Amino acid sequence: MGTFLANLILAGVRMASPLIFLSLAELYSQRAGLVNIGIEGIAAIGSLTGFLVSLITGSPLLGVLAGAAAGILVNMIFAYATVTLCAEQIVYGMAINIFAPALAAFIYRVYFGSGSELVQAGLMGTFKNMLGIKSNHFLVNLFLDQTPMVYLAFILVIVTAVYFTRTKSGLNYKAVGEYPKAAATLGINVIGIKYLSCVICGALAGIGGAYLTTCYSRTYVDGNIAGRGFIALAAVIFGRWNPGGVLIACLFFGFCDALQIRLQLINNTLPYQFFQMIPYVATIVVLAIIGAKKAGPKSSGQPYRKEER
Amino acid sequence: MAVDKAADQILRMEHITKQFGSVYANRNITFDVRAGEVHTLLGENGAGKSTLMNVLFGLYQPTAGDIYVRGQKVKIESPAQAVKLGIGMVHQHFMLVEAMTVFENIILGDTRSAGIFIDRNARRKEILELSQKYGLDVDLDLPVTELAVGAQQRVEILKALYRGCDVLVLDEPTAALTDVEVEGLFEIMNKLRSEGKSIIFISHKMREVLRVSDRITILRAGETVVTVDIGELTGEDLATMMIGRQLVRSQYTKAESKEEIVAVLDHVSYHKNSKHNGLNDVSVNIRRGEIVGIAGVDGNGQSQLAMLLTGNIAPDEGSMELKNSKVAVFDPNAFIQENVAHIPEDRNKSGLVGNMSVADNLVLKITKDKRFSDGNGFHLKKKAIRSYALEMKEKYDIRCSSVDQEARNLSGGNQQKVILARELEAAPDLLIAVHPTRGLDIGATRFIHDTVIAQRDIGAGVLLISADFDEILEVSDRILVMFEGKIMGEYSGKNPPIDEISLAMAGK
Repeated sequence: MGTFLANLILAGVRMASPLIFLSLAELYSQRAGLVNIGIEGIAAIGSLTGFLVSLITGSPLLGVLAGAAAGILVNMIFAYATVTLCAEQIVYGMAINIFAPALAAFIYRVYFGSGSELVQAGLMGTFKNMLGIKSNHFLVNLFLDQTPMVYLAFILVIVTAVYFTRTKSGLNYKAVGEYPKAAATLGINVIGIKYLSCVICGALAGIGGAYLTTCYSRTYVDGNIAGRGFIALAAVIFGRWNPGGVLIACLFFGFCDALQIRLQLINNTLPYQFFQMIPYVATIVVLAIIGAKKAGPKSSGQPYRKEER
Repeated sequence: MAVDKAADQILRMEHITKQFGSVYANRNITFDVRAGEVHTLLGENGAGKSTLMNVLFGLYQPTAGDIYVRGQKVKIESPAQAVKLGIGMVHQHFMLVEAMTVFENIILGDTRSAGIFIDRNARRKEILELSQKYGLDVDLDLPVTELAVGAQQRVEILKALYRGCDVLVLDEPTAALTDVEVEGLFEIMNKLRSEGKSIIFISHKMREVLRVSDRITILRAGETVVTVDIGELTGEDLATMMIGRQLVRSQYTKAESKEEIVAVLDHVSYHKNSKHNGLNDVSVNIRRGEIVGIAGVDGNGQSQLAMLLTGNIAPDEGSMELKNSKVAVFDPNAFIQENVAHIPEDRNKSGLVGNMSVADNLVLKITKDKRFSDGNGFHLKKKAIRSYALEMKEKYDIRCSSVDQEARNLSGGNQQKVILARELEAAPDLLIAVHPTRGLDIGATRFIHDTVIAQRDIGAGVLLISADFDEILEVSDRILVMFEGKIMGEYSGKNPPIDEISLAMAGK
């Protein structure tokens, strides 16, 4: 196999992993009827928290856990506003997108002061390094030269698929996003599941953000989420609100991302910005093709009021 | 019926009051249910039947009052709790998740079985046993969207039984059913009763109520009027108690119009080969000053006929004349300009804009009128619209808390009155009324018939489409029967040959 292609696939899987976390975050949210466009912002907070904790404790794993916790905290603002106060979901998602990255940047400045040189934290090790394997075969690299987070992402896809199709709880969860009033009459705790969805969404989005600073790049930079939170929104639609579909979408976008980096390195005649556009252009094209037939949860985006007549 | 009243009383609601803001939906209602009886809650639209049941089912919290189940005082704070107490409810608007199958809908929210995963085989067996026991026949693997209304209702009843209910609330269960489906439902109800289940049956159709009930509680304007055993009653008694005034069943005088023809359909076809959604070689003319009734079982092309006559669809073959000139363009707005009024079959989907106020709905068709706007609709005169709306509210007896209230929050009868006011205020030349009284109580139905007759008498040509044969007989001057997109025959509205018409409705 050509080195270019092999590297492309390896990088594609690595790039897809954070997208998987973010897309699953959005999937869990929408399945409970909450369209959360604030994934980008939650991921930013998760990313910074992950970086700081990893730097201070020296443990990227603790960094990831802290990222999840921070994500949950931020998303509770969204939860309270949209579930309890029945506020407009898009508005609060947008508010989080504006507020959370700014908060992340602010904390970073307060902690390190402005103008200091780039601080670097350790990265999570791969299984290949942990096991001390020296081989550089493509398959070894593909399946073993990955951080535990990559495996976690793929396992979560399977767990989610099983949860939504095979478990009682998953069925109830989906009913909340489809027809909350019907769910309530069957004794399902609609408000509870909506809050639960926000906890899961916040945690996964936080982990997705933390992945970028604990497994991908050694440092935190403002804007490092780079629209992945929005691509996740597209991936959920592309994946028709199914975990399997979402995985395929994430791999597709991941490869587009990997491809643009590779092309930037090879080519020096075209301005690099053109290549940077690839994942985003792909998103728009895919949405234009797929987005027409909406098949998402029926009550997505609508508030649930208990005593509405 | 049982004699020992206290002992077999399974449910008792005492002095229930429910307020929404300053409005009393229920006021001091007392009501009880015995084991193995069908107890009907009868009342006009907005009498508080559904509210009372939502209180019972834990969807609303009562402002005051107590509920006793099997003699124990209980506080029902959620549907889950109601289910635990053995109360099941089939809502008027079905609570089915469309994206799921029948099986999934039934097991949703199940807490009876242990384990995380769905044990499909075990659950299926339980459900099939229930469905056989009570004659509730449904295909478990179909998506609910593929079921007819009657079958969806069976799923709802199965859902309640699966949760082990002893008291089953059926909220207006016959409203959306065909006659055959209603018979099926009554059979199921009898079976449930003979198995010792209690049923609370909510309805305002007297004929049905007299047929299936053991006892009847009549509600009026949020209060209990009386609870009576069925043996003592006639339909007239019930009607009197229900609306609180004596109904004089006047026979409308039938007109025999010799006036000019306002609309003609000449050998019109639309999707000819579709038996249930097409028209096949239909010729009709409508004169001023007459009501032409279209009788027939729902879904034999009536909807298409109405859409054609209001410019919503264009015919594949044949032609139409409106006020002596041939229609060239089939476009709703062109028809409105020709003063054609339309009472659509579904008032929520195409009759009203639910999220807009009553006042705005009233002027929807006439926003360009100089009375209501400057510059051809450019700037709306809000004050003029409001005072016009208040005037209409009086004239058409629209009961709403304010003309600024959203139209979707009105009861069905009052929504229909808003549509009447909008459509009839300009004295239309042609009125197409489709199921104008569907789902309405006696008082509102009566009002609508009176209004339509009044339009006829000032010279409108009226086409009335209704699946309610009694309604057709009551107001039509001429009766046409439709079957599979064809006109089967024409009959006089004076002393109509009922047997002959019934045969024609069955396609013979």
